[in-house]
Order: sequence, then C-alpha cells, then structure tokens
Amino acid sequence: MKKILTMLVLTLALVPSYAQEGTFKKRYLNHTEIGLMLGRVKYDPYAGQGGTPQNISENRINLTLQLLNGVQYSPRLGIGVITGLDWYNSALVNPVGLGLRYDLAGKKNTRLYASTDAGYGFTWFHQNSDGFDTHGGLMLNPGLGLRIGKPDGAAFTLSFSYKHQDVKVEKPPLFDQTSRLEDRNYNRLLVKAGVSF
Amino acid sequence: MKTLLRTFAITLLALAVWSCNDHCTETRVRKQFTPVTISLLEIRKDLKTETPRTLEHPGKIYVKDKYLFINEIKEGIHIIDNSNPANPRAVAFVSIPGNGDMAVRGNILYADSYSDLVALDISDPKNPKEVGRVAEVFRSGQFEGGSWSYNESIRAIDAQNVTYITETIKTNCEDSPTTPNWWRGGWETLAFADAAFNRSGGKTAAAPGGGGNGQAGSMARFALYDQFLYTVGQNSLHLFDISTPSKPTDYSIINLGWGIETIFPYKDKLFIGSTTGMHIYDNSNPAKPAKLSVFQHGRACDPVVVHDDVAYVTLRTGTACGGGQNQLDLVDIRDLTRPQLIKSYQMQNPHGLGIDFPTLYLCEGKYGLKVFDAQDPFSVDSHLVSHFKDMDAYDVIPLGKTLLMIGKDGLYQFDASNPKQLRQLSKIPVGQPLI
Repeated sequence: MKKILTMLVLTLALVPSYAQEGTFKKRYLNHTEIGLMLGRVKYDPYAGQGGTPQNISENRINLTLQLLNGVQYSPRLGIGVITGLDWYNSALVNPVGLGLRYDLAGKKNTRLYASTDAGYGFTWFHQNSDGFDTHGGLMLNPGLGLRIGKPDGAAFTLSFSYKHQDVKVEKPPLFDQTSRLEDRNYNRLLVKAGVSF
Repeated sequence: MKTLLRTFAITLLALAVWSCNDHCTETRVRKQFTPVTISLLEIRKDLKTETPRTLEHPGKIYVKDKYLFINEIKEGIHIIDNSNPANPRAVAFVSIPGNGDMAVRGNILYADSYSDLVALDISDPKNPKEVGRVAEVFRSGQFEGGSWSYNESIRAIDAQNVTYITETIKTNCEDSPTTPNWWRGGWETLAFADAAFNRSGGKTAAAPGGGGNGQAGSMARFALYDQFLYTVGQNSLHLFDISTPSKPTDYSIINLGWGIETIFPYKDKLFIGSTTGMHIYDNSNPAKPAKLSVFQHGRACDPVVVHDDVAYVTLRTGTACGGGQNQLDLVDIRDLTRPQLIKSYQMQNPHGLGIDFPTLYLCEGKYGLKVFDAQDPFSVDSHLVSHFKDMDAYDVIPLGKTLLMIGKDGLYQFDASNPKQLRQLSKIPVGQPLI
C-alpha cells in the first residue's frame, strides 16, 4: 500500500513537467465534496440456527466527506490525491488514493464530468468495540457529475457515483466458536454536492 | 457522440443503483459435538504401544530426566528422547483412549484413560507395559469442550466427539451478532468447564517429594507428593496411594467446590487453580490435605505458579472460561491463610506460565511468549526482557538451562542459560512426521 502511495505522489510531482497545451495553464485543483452513501443490506437474522432461511432487508444511509487536491492538468483533465472520511454504521473508514476528473461534454458553464477515485480505505480513526479488530481494504468510486461554474473559476458540483469498499473484521468468537471473521463489501450509491476551484 | 455518452451515463448509473447492496459474510469456525458411546472393554483393549506418530493436537507436556512426554489430546502420549534438546527424537506413541494428563515417578507413568487411572512401566520407553489400573475412578471430564461421563449401567463412556466446522453466513454488516442469544446460557456453561482440558500443561520449580518425580506444569491436573498421586477433577481432589508405585490404589476424595482446573504442589503446600480463584491447601499431612484459604477473583481461566512468598496467577478471557480480564496477578502468600494481592498487570491473553526466579515466562496464546524480569513485584510490566511473536504459546516448563514451550503449532525448546537472550534450539512442528 505504501508503495502505491509513494508512486502516486511521484506521479503527481512529475505531472507539471509534461507538455502544456495552447493557452491553458496548469493550476492547483481542489474538489471538496459532502454527500450521502445510500445502500441496502439483505440478511437472515437467524442465520446459522437452522430452520427455513428468512431474509430481511434494511436501509443504510451514511455520511461521506472527500477532498481532492491536485492539478488541473488539461482543460478537461484534473488529477489529484483524494482523502476522505466515510462513516459506515460500524466502521469509520479513511479512503486515500488517486482521483481523476474528466469533462465529457457540456456548454461552457455547465459541464458533465466523469470521475474515478480508487485507493485504499484505512481504519486509522475507527474505535473498535472490545475484542474486535477492523481492517480496511480496497476502495473504488467511479461516477458522473455536473459542474456548474466558470471553467477556470470556482464551480459547484453535483455527482452520482458508485462506491465499493472492502472491510475485514476479526470478531471475538461466540459460544462454541473458535474463530469469527467478517468480510464486508460495502456497495453504495453516492449522492454528493461539492465545490471545486 | 451525445447519444453514446447518454447511453454510457445511463448504463453506469443503472449499474450502480442495481448493485447498491452491502454484502457481508461472516466465516465462523465452531465446534460440533457428536455423541458416541465407547465401552470400557474397548478402552482397555485399545491401550497399546505404537510407532511414533505425528503431533496433531498437542496437550500437556511432562518431563522426566531425558524423556519428554507430550499428550495427544484424548488419544495418548508421545514419548520423546530429549537427551539432546537440539535434536529431540521420537521413541514411541502410547495409545491411551481418553488420555489428558500424566505424571511419572521412577519408572512408572501414571495416565488417565477416561474413567480409569493406568500405571505403565516405562523402564523400556520403546515398549511401555501396563502394570496397574484403578478402574472406574473418574466420573466425568472434558476434552476440547466435549464432555464425557461414565455410564455405570452399561459400563461404558458416553462421550462427545469434537469436530471443527467452518460455516459462512450473511450478516447485517454490523459488529453486533445478528443472532439472538437465547441459547447462549446453555453453551457457555457447557463450554466453560472445559477450561483445563483444552489447554496444555507445563510449569515448574522442582517438584517436591522424592527425587524420582518428573516435572509437570501450571496446567497439570496430576501431581505427585510423598506416597500419593493427587488428581483434580472438576470439583474434587482425588488421592491415590502409590507407596508401591506399580500398584496405585484408590485412597480418598476431597471435595473442592466447582470449576477446578489445575494443581501445583510447592513445598508442602498445594495450590489449586479454579475458575473462581486459587485454593491453598496445607499438605504437611499428605494423606489429608487441609484447606488454608481461597484467593477469590472474577471468573476466568487461571493457572498458578509459586516462588517463595509470591504466587503468580494468570487470568484470561475465552469462551471456555467466561470472564472479562486478561491479566497477571501477583499474590503475596507470606500468610497462607490470608493471601493478599500485590499488583495486577494487564496482559493480552495469558495462558500458562513458569517461573525460574527472577525470570518469569508467560505464554500469551497467539501473541507469543513473553519473558519478564520479576525481581521487583511492583514493576514486572516495565521489565519485559523479550517477546517472541511469531509462535503460538500455551505453556512452558523452565528447566534451568533449557525452556520447553508448547503451542498449537508445536513444541519449542530454547537455550535459557541466558534468560535475556533465549535461543531456539529445536521445534517439533505439528502435522509433520516425527523423526
């Protein structure tokens, strides 16, 4: 993981040394977003106890914050390092990774963009319950958004994206168990509002 | 271009929406108990010597002179020639159904076999011979959580076979169990009493009473003293007269209360570890140990070892014992009728322990082996000498120059001539054929 991060930082450091196009000048890019992670979970509350399986479904709504810091590399492409905070019901995850913003279409002041964020979700700030041990995992977050504002000024953004986050939890064994390990795959629809400049 | 983009966008969104479900699975390994009935005739017939076999579920360890005895839980005893600790050699495997404990005096090995106590002549370790048997003295017991009891009417043992089952269930992605706990009480009580049996044995300080005894550990349920063999069951202390070592006879039973796990003889005292505390018995009259006091603590698994005026007791959590502490207690036992706590230290998951004063060896289960300098009883934790992490540690026997340690992954031997710098001499790994 550390290697990937180092490479990422190096890549970003190298970016400005590449060719410029036309009158466009590379500049600092910040994209700050806040949003909701919407999802559902379907499970059998009596699993492992015999009987006919009966699944029930529950809603999950959680808060997400994300910062992207990087460069507007070309008029269309922005690239940067993302850091975030995702409050899942029983895991506080800090995704860190690489983020891309690419304008697909649109008029001058309203553009449709595609975003791709990928990285690793850490659990540095997660408080474990006694006997639990929570480990982070892969984070993927592709999506589409609208940017409303001047091309080289500040803009509001509204985005819809899909987020996948892996988490592994070691749990204290119950009753007659000798080990208990949970593998979590969070798959959420993200609705985010943000500013970029 | 625009149509293409729109299609792309809709597809992506649709995909995202359709799969926005959290998928969480929990993989559990649990014990399954299958009832079996084994007749006493069968048990007695199956006691025999075999060629050395692989270590699979090592239990307690016992040392006598150059020989090392490793219990294979419920199956029998591995006999190892340990004259060169750097190169231990397997001698034989004695198949003893329902065996969990052992003790050696002179040439006689005492072992339990479900309800029976057997005496084996090991003057030829390659070919031990049964010389004595006290039949139907133990009424019940536990192996790895599976209990057994003696069924008098058909003269058989009602036992439970333990198998480990891996199951995967879908969960709600939360820490709390998704299963209601209405049945927990039953399992816990059952699993609880198993405390002593699913651990391995080993602790030291020269065993008293006759130079012909071997060394057992903080986890042992068998102890030798004078002309008696003491065995602890779940609620009683059983005395066997071994004045003729090859012919043990049933002597008496002393009721101890509940949840008894280990026995540790030190000088003329008996220290008995139970799930609720440490019992101290005066053994100056070996035929009639007298209760001096009980040192109470919360419910937990707790072996005990003693050096001079200090008793070292470990408490750990675990499904087998209940309880919520993981700690090492130092207890002042200058006044044996009124033991007094010196200090408690937080630990990770302490199992067996051994003292070769001032060096204290503490097994931390999957967290490895810790070596402390226990010179100052008030600052043991700040005198951590070393910590071996990449091994499983259940119990130790310090033998002065060497240290024996058993864990789930095998038996380790260390050169302990300099306790500050333990050096691994050898390892008998689990699951590999013995040489």
